[in-house]
Amino acid sequence: MSLAGKPLVVAVAEHGPEGLAPVSLELAACARELAQALGGEARLLVLGDGVEPLASEAARLSGLTVTGLEVPGLTEFSGEAYRALLAELLPAWSPAMVLAAHTTSGLDWAPGLAMRLGVALVSGVEAIEHGESGPLFRRAAWHGKLSELVEAQAEPLVLTVQPGSFPALPPAETPGSVEVLTRELPPCRARVRPGQAPLERDAALGAASVVVAAGRGVGKPENLEPLRRLSALFSNAALAGSRPVCDLGWLGYARQVGLTGATVSPRLYLACGISGARQHTVGMQGSGYIVAINNDPNAAIFNLADVGVVEDLNAFIPALLELAGAGPGREG
Amino acid sequence: MRVLCLLKQVCEPESLFDLQEGRPVLRPPARWKMSSYDEYALEAALALKDARPDTEVTALSLGPARCEAVLERALGMGADRAVRLDDLDETIARPLAVASAVAAWAEGQGFDLILAGVMSDDAMQGAVGPMLAELLGLPLATGAVELALAEDAKSLTAQREMEGGRRQEVTLPLPALATINSGPARPRYPTLSKLLKAKETAPLVIDPTAPAPPLEAVREYRLPVKTRAGLMLSGDIQAKASRLLDLLRERALL
Repeated sequence: MSLAGKPLVVAVAEHGPEGLAPVSLELAACARELAQALGGEARLLVLGDGVEPLASEAARLSGLTVTGLEVPGLTEFSGEAYRALLAELLPAWSPAMVLAAHTTSGLDWAPGLAMRLGVALVSGVEAIEHGESGPLFRRAAWHGKLSELVEAQAEPLVLTVQPGSFPALPPAETPGSVEVLTRELPPCRARVRPGQAPLERDAALGAASVVVAAGRGVGKPENLEPLRRLSALFSNAALAGSRPVCDLGWLGYARQVGLTGATVSPRLYLACGISGARQHTVGMQGSGYIVAINNDPNAAIFNLADVGVVEDLNAFIPALLELAGAGPGREG
Repeated sequence: MRVLCLLKQVCEPESLFDLQEGRPVLRPPARWKMSSYDEYALEAALALKDARPDTEVTALSLGPARCEAVLERALGMGADRAVRLDDLDETIARPLAVASAVAAWAEGQGFDLILAGVMSDDAMQGAVGPMLAELLGLPLATGAVELALAEDAKSLTAQREMEGGRRQEVTLPLPALATINSGPARPRYPTLSKLLKAKETAPLVIDPTAPAPPLEAVREYRLPVKTRAGLMLSGDIQAKASRLLDLLRERALL
């Protein structure tokens, strides 16, 4: 229960050098949905040094009440500082739920915080279902081939919310109110510094109207050749890869699509040998038309495809090229 | 230096299963593997050992006897010791239970560094490592793609990969815990000689201490919701290719 006697849902925003992270507004949308279900209120919390502009931006975009926690010296994300600050602040608010993003940063502080508060953690939430006894949380399991419906046996609870699951709402008509509280930076054993800037994205990837994306199912780097020839059938196409393909060095990281790479929404996305793990699909689910080719009939990618083809990629693509008049792909 | 590496055994992603009474049941033949991010964590541990031969790497898995295949592979890759926390399928599946069982065993063993994958391939919860750090009171870095040990072996600097590819440099005083994301340092293959030796080495099997009771439960499993039409093409390979070209032309995509 919150100070006002209504259940309180608190979402903790993420931000970086570019300002408020897009996932923060998805968290706001999720918090709003939960607050409505509980008949309570949603609030955003932003932590940092010089936090007021971020808090105002969050209030303007989300329409939610925002608390900015001004922490001099917290210039760079620190999971350790977040855990300590939140463990001190939140008990006084008695929130019913605390929301983090299911990202490497959210996962740095949320599980430990749940333990420190002695409450449940439900991780990677993709949807909420409203049961008789309260909200149930849907999350992906089994490589995305199944949905788990998780019930928390006790409130309060900490949730990590899968990016791309709760579309951000349009900017609010009236901005939410902003309050700023000041706290001292807690002593931290882990020292954090900004690391290297992110890789330049391949500009062609963002501008392409067709993206041909290679996943692990490609099997070996030689099998990228038919995919290159497939992309050459289109006038404005780019070849991309899932993280595993880039880790293997088959394609440069600048061509990675997904949570840790680029987010693209071309008119056509051809997912070739991609299983459909959330880390990838969050970067392409907004595409106009999605075609998935995978030899596993249960691959998660088929759940978000407009068209699915269950075939061995390395036989199917050459057949497709031949029919399209491009000659067969070389068998590699 | 003593390094502990947590390795989860997961079913191959292509595994087929049936939903029986709302629970997934694997269709034989069940095929298992080391969860891929854990494999990267083990590679990171072995790379530290390459640089400092006095490093001892302990591989730990929690689960039934079938998990020993993962431990065997870990020894084959170069781990020094293998430990299995004995557990029947599904009895300890929630992250808090796993973390508390591992913490109860690892406490007081003098590990300087604990490594785990950033999340498992199958459940993708990403919670065991951070919970274990909290239980053992260790400083934590999640999602590291590179590790560098200080000359004096008293601290470790991790390059964390954040969303959108931004990096953060985190220096942790040891003992510490890091979760590892995949990166360019590809996990090595087991060597035949080490594998042969591994086959003769029985892992230490430990009966885990009563794990913490879960605070949440899976009520049911379902097939995922389809967000699009998902028209599955039928016929032979030629028919499917021809139909796909028609669909693309109809939509003026080709």
